[in-house]
Amino acid sequence: MKLKDLPDENLFTQGHTACPGCGAAMSIRNTIRIFGKDTAVYVPASCAVVFGTTFPLAAWKVPFFHTAFENTGASIAGMKAAYEVKGKDVTVIGFAGDGGTYDIGLQSMSGAAERNDDVLYICLDNEAYMNTGIQRSGGTPFGAWTTTTPVGKKTQGNRTFKKNLAEIVAAHDIPYFATLSIGHPVDFIRKVEKAKSMKGFRFLHMFTPCIPGWKMDPAKTVEVTKLAVESGMWTLFEIENGEKKITYKPQKMKRVKDYLMMQGRFRHMSEEDIKKLQMWVCHKWNLNYNEKGAPGVCEIEPPEEHHGVTEEHREMHGL
Amino acid sequence: MFEVRFHGRGGQGAVMAAQTLAEAAVIEGNYAVAFPFFGAERRGAPVLAFTRIDSGKIYSKTQVYTPDCVVVLDDSLLDTIDVVAGLKPDGSVVINSKDAPTDIDLGMEVHTGAVNATSVALEILKAPITNTAILGALAKVTGIVSIESIEAAIKRRFGEKLGEKIGERNAVAARTAYERTVTGKSMGVKRLEQKKQWLPTHQELPVGGALVAGKTDAGLIGPGSFTENNVSGWATFRPVRDREKCTMCLLCWFYCPEGTIVRISDKGDLMTNYDYCKGCGICANECPVDAIKMVRARV
Repeated sequence: MKLKDLPDENLFTQGHTACPGCGAAMSIRNTIRIFGKDTAVYVPASCAVVFGTTFPLAAWKVPFFHTAFENTGASIAGMKAAYEVKGKDVTVIGFAGDGGTYDIGLQSMSGAAERNDDVLYICLDNEAYMNTGIQRSGGTPFGAWTTTTPVGKKTQGNRTFKKNLAEIVAAHDIPYFATLSIGHPVDFIRKVEKAKSMKGFRFLHMFTPCIPGWKMDPAKTVEVTKLAVESGMWTLFEIENGEKKITYKPQKMKRVKDYLMMQGRFRHMSEEDIKKLQMWVCHKWNLNYNEKGAPGVCEIEPPEEHHGVTEEHREMHGL
Repeated sequence: MFEVRFHGRGGQGAVMAAQTLAEAAVIEGNYAVAFPFFGAERRGAPVLAFTRIDSGKIYSKTQVYTPDCVVVLDDSLLDTIDVVAGLKPDGSVVINSKDAPTDIDLGMEVHTGAVNATSVALEILKAPITNTAILGALAKVTGIVSIESIEAAIKRRFGEKLGEKIGERNAVAARTAYERTVTGKSMGVKRLEQKKQWLPTHQELPVGGALVAGKTDAGLIGPGSFTENNVSGWATFRPVRDREKCTMCLLCWFYCPEGTIVRISDKGDLMTNYDYCKGCGICANECPVDAIKMVRARV
C-alpha cells in the first residue's frame, strides 16, 4: 500500500490527550489505520491508556480492553481465543510500552510467543517509563538521564546499555519480528501490512520519541527518529522465520553525537561517555547488521562533520 | 496568610512558578510552602499549583480553596475553568493575556493585572514558557513580594537547575513583564457553565465498565468519544499551509499525531481542523517544500 492509498478513517480519533508531538500517538494512529475495523486492541498501563482512554471517554473506535501492567501477552492471547470461540475473524493487537515489554511484561510476552498465539504484539519504545514520570527501563540507552538515573558527581545518567530485545523475542522462533521507525513511512507501512497478512505471533518494535522524557522540541519528533536510524542508534530490520534482513542502510553513518545533542536527556554526557556509546553502536552495527564493505559501515571515530548543535539549540535547551 | 493558586498548562512551568514565589517570600524572611496538584499531567493539559506565604509557621497542608490571588498562565483556560472559584472579594488575579484587564471577563469584578507573558517569554527566552514572566506581573499586582526578591529567587532556582545564564535571562523576563503589566478591574459578566459529568450509579454501570458508544447528558461516551474534546487551547502556534506550494505528498497527513490534518478525498486537498491541533509543529518541520508555516495562535 502506498502512502496515498492509506484509508482516511481515524480509528484512533482526534481529541486524545497525548502531549504535542507524541511519537506513540503517531505510531498508534497509523498502525490502526492500516489494520482497519476488524481489530481489537489491548493496552496495559502506559501513556497510551491515559491519553487514549480516560473513562468514560475513548479515542479508539475499535474494541478496546485494559487490565494490568504485566500481562499484555496473556491478555491478547485470551482475547484472540475468545474471538475464535465466537467464530469471528478479528486481529488482536497489544500496544505495550517499553517498560511493559522489556521489564514488566516480558514473561507474559514470552509465553504468548512460545505458544505462537495468533496475535500482534507491538512495543512502543520511548526508552523509559514516561507515564509515571521518566524512570529508567531496560530500554533506556547508555548515558540517558532519567529520574532514577540522575546526573551527579559520581555517575552521569544510565550506566547500562539498551537491552537487546530483538534477540530475546527472535529466540522464540516466531514468524515475524520487525523494527519500525515513524520517520520512514514507506518501510513503516510495508512492515505493518506484512504483519497484517501473516498468522501466528508477530512482534513489531516501534521507535517512538517522547517529548517531555527526551527533553526536546515537539516539532523534532520525526527528525530525531530519522537521525536515530542514520546514526545507528536504531536499526531497521526484520526477522522472518529466522532470517534477518536489514531493510534500511544509511549510506554514510552519522555520528551518534549528532543524535544525542538534539535531546536534553543526553546533554550532560562527557566526551568519554559519548565515545563509549559510539563504540557500542559501531560494534553492534558491524557485527550484526553489516556485511563487510557494504554501505553504511560504522567507524568508531567518523570524520568531523559539524552541524549537530547550533547556537539556537543551545539557547533553547539551556545547554 | 496569603494564598496563591496557579492555573497553567503542563509545560508552562506552573509548579516551578509556585516554588519560585515561595522562595522569594523566604528570601524576604517569611515562611512559605509550594506544591502541585497531583493528576495525570500531560504537556498542554490544565494543571494546578499552590503557594502559601505567612509571617509565621504554616501548618495548613490542604489545597488552596479560597485564594488571595489567582495566577492564570494561559488565558485559553478561561473558557473551560472557573479560575476565580473561591477567590476572596478583595483578592486579585494575574493573567497572561494580550488584552487589558478591563476587556477580560472573569465572571467577577476583581483587581486584575494583565501582561502578554507569552510574547515576553518568546522574546526573551525564545520558548513559550511563561512562568517567570508571570511572576514579575504577580509582584506588581499583589506586592506580596518585591520584584527584586522575585529576581533573586529566579536566579537562584533556575540558575541552580539550568545554569547561570538561563537564570539571568529568566530574571530579565520577570522584570520585563513587571514593567509591562497593566492593572485594572476585570469584567464580571459571563457565567461559566460547569461541564456536566457523566456519573452513573453502580447499577447503571455496565459489567466491567464496558461501554458501547453512546450519548449522555454530559456528551458522548465510549469508543470514539474523544472527538468532543477540543484541545485547541493547548497550542501556542498553529500551522498555516500555502496551497500554492503544497505538492500533496501527504507526509504531514501521515505524521500528524492528532489526526487534525484531514484529507478531502474528492477535492484532492487537505484541511486542518484547528479544534484538535496542539501546535507541535511537526508538519511544518517535515514539509519537504516548506509549504507550512507556524504562526501564533490567538493573537
